[in-house]
Amino acid sequence: MAHQVELLRRNIPTGSIADLQRHARSIRATCVVMAYLGRQGHLTSALSCVDILVALYSGYLRVSPDRLRDPHRDRFLFSKGHAASAYYAVLAGAGFLPREELATYGKGGSRLPSHPCREMLPCLEISSGSLGHGLGMGTGMVYGMDQSGNRGRVVVLMSDGECNEGSVWESAAFAVAQKQDRLVAIVDNNNMQAVGRTDQLMGGASFEHKFNAFGWEARTIDGQDIGQILSALNDVPFKPGRPSAIIAKTTGGAGVSFMADNTVWHYRVPSKEDLTKALAELGEPPMTRVSL
Amino acid sequence: MRRAFSDSLLKLATADDSVIFLTGDLGFGVFDDFIAAFPKRYINVGVAEAHLVDCAAGLALEGWRPIVYSIASFMTGRAYEQIRVSVGYHKLPVMIVGAGGGYLYGDSGVTHHAKEDLGLMALVAGMTVVAPGDPNEVEHLLPQLSTLGGPSYIRIGRFGEPRFEAPAPINVGQARMLRDGKRIGIVTTGTVVIQALAAVDQLATEGIHPVLCHFHTVHPIQVDALDHLLSRVDSIVVVEEHGLQGGLGAAVAYRCVQSGRLPHIVRLGPGDDLVLGNPKQEELRQELGFDAHGIANTCRRLWDSRSA
Repeated sequence: MAHQVELLRRNIPTGSIADLQRHARSIRATCVVMAYLGRQGHLTSALSCVDILVALYSGYLRVSPDRLRDPHRDRFLFSKGHAASAYYAVLAGAGFLPREELATYGKGGSRLPSHPCREMLPCLEISSGSLGHGLGMGTGMVYGMDQSGNRGRVVVLMSDGECNEGSVWESAAFAVAQKQDRLVAIVDNNNMQAVGRTDQLMGGASFEHKFNAFGWEARTIDGQDIGQILSALNDVPFKPGRPSAIIAKTTGGAGVSFMADNTVWHYRVPSKEDLTKALAELGEPPMTRVSL
Repeated sequence: MRRAFSDSLLKLATADDSVIFLTGDLGFGVFDDFIAAFPKRYINVGVAEAHLVDCAAGLALEGWRPIVYSIASFMTGRAYEQIRVSVGYHKLPVMIVGAGGGYLYGDSGVTHHAKEDLGLMALVAGMTVVAPGDPNEVEHLLPQLSTLGGPSYIRIGRFGEPRFEAPAPINVGQARMLRDGKRIGIVTTGTVVIQALAAVDQLATEGIHPVLCHFHTVHPIQVDALDHLLSRVDSIVVVEEHGLQGGLGAAVAYRCVQSGRLPHIVRLGPGDDLVLGNPKQEELRQELGFDAHGIANTCRRLWDSRSA
């Protein structure tokens, strides 16, 4: 029997961690609905970074839908473009998008393609989908903002698989050479990529070790713990004169038991049964309407 | 041409305080005046072309007008992905400078050959691609490229190329008619125009008068200038220091097919083969017949065959 899942009516909360956690569950539910409606995969990648995104948009980032190009805003670069559903849902929750629009995700003509496009969606700082660009672009922004006297911070969210790309490390070296301490790289370290496991493919040295070796100041946290994420963000820069790396240990597909750490869900589109099961587990209503 | 570039860059940065220069650790001594004048607007990112372009894109997103510089083969090949995505997709006004396009670094080996730079860049969305023929064209084109709303690529040569004088104005996107004539139309891009001018001047003493039309802007090609030329001549001689795909010859051939005008076309320049043996640029041009001597010979043959 068809029924309608209720729309979540409240905006992203700025209150307690418990409120944020509840919001994150709603975002996860929204991601699964979006994947179902848009016939898209990449749920593992989206679900692993939900808590990071919720923390960023819970008041940490100085951004506003009313002042998209304010020169003093913080710049957030969503470099792991394939996890777009999570980002769109968080943007909708923060007032940057009409939440009804989330139902168009991945469909032809939508402003919300499977990989984010700045041309279509001006609230984005960059288009993404090809890995390894966000950090380099972020370093250019920092350099330019330093010269212009703009105060904003630059936060780049990357996937750990993205760090396979050599360009990430070219940019990492540059950021240190330029002493870019308003730059923050967050690595969504879910140890899962399209085919293999990140630690196996990269030889197992920790990201904290790698970034520290480049001269960054890195800190490893539980990337599913919004309290830890906020506390790390609020400590930035970890050391004056150095860029900060937050290595967020996460689980691909976090929040939905049968997707968690399961590579199949990098690709699989949820069926109606999968959706029902996931929504029941998450226990919070999604932000976009779905007929079941 | 290298000096014309560095002088023009300095002028540009003096006039426009959003101009910022980034190098991939190349240009030793070339930019000393620039560094002295604008230390904060000179960035050496190291031997890191991918980062060079991503960083420039970030600067452009902040309203700066970045100019990125490396050897043409590395600039276009190693950073192609970054140029395509971070610059092209984002429609950013980044100027990409390829030093030593074609076989300027012929004797440095295949790693330094750049016979595909123009074609690669022409494939990037919104890209304007220029290959100036002399220092004078560099000086005129550089400020124009810096005011474009989108990305551009400029191939520049070495120190000390000769200058040539011609009344035709130097404007981005416009071909320059350098010598008027009949029956044969020589079209050039880049520094081989010097060879073509020498050939045409020699041919004039023999009573042979080809038209010489120089396309410093390879992409987008000025279609009406090309059509006009095609309507006036029986044969076209394309001279380019570029591979067969994506350069001037390919653009001319495509336009001929598209317009239905099918003159006899001879293309002079390198082919698809690797160039081994480390020839100097002049030696290669001579060997492959696209120096002044080779161009003149081709024109003589065409002139004779059609007058018979």
